[in-house]
Amino acid sequence: MSLHGGIPPAIAADVRRGERLEWWTLGWMGSVVLVMWLVMGASQAMKAAVIEDLLSLIPAIVFLLAARWERRAPNARFPFGYRRANSLAFLVAATALLSVGAFLAYESISTLLRQEHPTVGGITLLGHTIWLGWLMLAALAYSVVPPVILGWLKQPVAERIKDKVLHTDALMQKADWQTGLAGIAGILGIALGWWWADAAAALFIALSIGKDATGALEQAVAELLDGTPRALDSNALSDDDTALITALKERFGDVDVRLRETGRYIAAEVDCPSPPTIPTAVELMGSDAEWRLASLSFRPEPSDGPV
Amino acid sequence: MGRPWSDRPYTAAPRAASTWVLAVQPRPGCGVRGTMNRVLTSLVLVTALAGCNALPRDAAGTTERIAREGAMRVAVLPGTHDASPALSLLGNHARRHDAQLAIVNLSGEHALRRLEDGELDAVVGHFAKTSPWMANISLSKPVGQAEPVDSRQPILRIARRNGENALILATDRAVAQSAK
Repeated sequence: MSLHGGIPPAIAADVRRGERLEWWTLGWMGSVVLVMWLVMGASQAMKAAVIEDLLSLIPAIVFLLAARWERRAPNARFPFGYRRANSLAFLVAATALLSVGAFLAYESISTLLRQEHPTVGGITLLGHTIWLGWLMLAALAYSVVPPVILGWLKQPVAERIKDKVLHTDALMQKADWQTGLAGIAGILGIALGWWWADAAAALFIALSIGKDATGALEQAVAELLDGTPRALDSNALSDDDTALITALKERFGDVDVRLRETGRYIAAEVDCPSPPTIPTAVELMGSDAEWRLASLSFRPEPSDGPV
Repeated sequence: MGRPWSDRPYTAAPRAASTWVLAVQPRPGCGVRGTMNRVLTSLVLVTALAGCNALPRDAAGTTERIAREGAMRVAVLPGTHDASPALSLLGNHARRHDAQLAIVNLSGEHALRRLEDGELDAVVGHFAKTSPWMANISLSKPVGQAEPVDSRQPILRIARRNGENALILATDRAVAQSAK
């Protein structure tokens, strides 16, 4: 690992675990897309579910790309390395999540406004014609299982490696299984002759996805604008920030301290002359989180801010 | 003020038992238990109805209306000289509901618009698999013939109103049976 490239040994195993989980995600969710495509028939609701499942692959793909770039060493063209690829991936993942919510909301509202009656006919298998809705229910039930398990496995890893892309992907898995359950409710509603059930259930889920996505997008934009590092699951400042600012002020007095986030790493800037002894990352962050402090710089002659 | 911890009457077993009783005997409620009861009741209802072949139902109640009024309103598009197999299938369906076919004379788009609006129950005519109307109506597989290789080739089909899933499934079954 160099100063601006590579993954710290403290989290290397967890990052590899995150990558394995994302490969599993691509495999399992790919199988879900295939099964849903096979039974979707002419149902608009099922088509929307397939498109939603395809969009849900984006966070997993960008996590794998960002982790690959993060390992690259800095070079003449990118002297600060590629660690900010994670921030970019976070923006893409949050946008994908918002797109899923917006797409689902648009489909549901337009179906309700146009009062479209969803049509699910029969399919002939082995000489018997059965209602395609039963196969759709089986496919939707299958579509719920992988995201529940994968999302549950990803959450603790995302927390340990402070990875907002992986966290957003866990939110996407939540969106996936919620959409699957909404789909089941919708097909049961269609079976009972309630044409509005499918769209109403999807709209309810779309609002929940939109809330998660908006929060993630706020964090992603804050990160790209060099905002103070945010917590993994909200726009509040992270605990590591508070601890680091307190540690720096205890050591250097009431000075201005600025923190920003580059991917999962924190860069700190202190308005005071360079001290004779620079504190170590362990002294400032503790042994568990010391890997997060990527750089600490001092500004001996801070000027006034821009007018 | 809350009840002291040592006095709390709830244990895991009674709570589980009370949940089970509530699930069997739904009553108006709110919160998680109320929602769970409604979901369980719906699932039991759906399973029971599916078991006695009562699902799916029509969104606009076409099948019930056919049985109630004793008439199934069908239009045959002009130029459909081979309509008799389709009319025979629809006639059998109507008879199962103690009804008869009522043929309505309408042409082209008028018939399809009336079908969309629920003023007709079925339209018999030649439609391509990729008909521009297929988003607005539900087209059956070809009646008495194999699906043509060219998906733009019009062939005898039965058009049904979207959302009338009981009627759609019944006619799909009849078309599949006739293909045997």
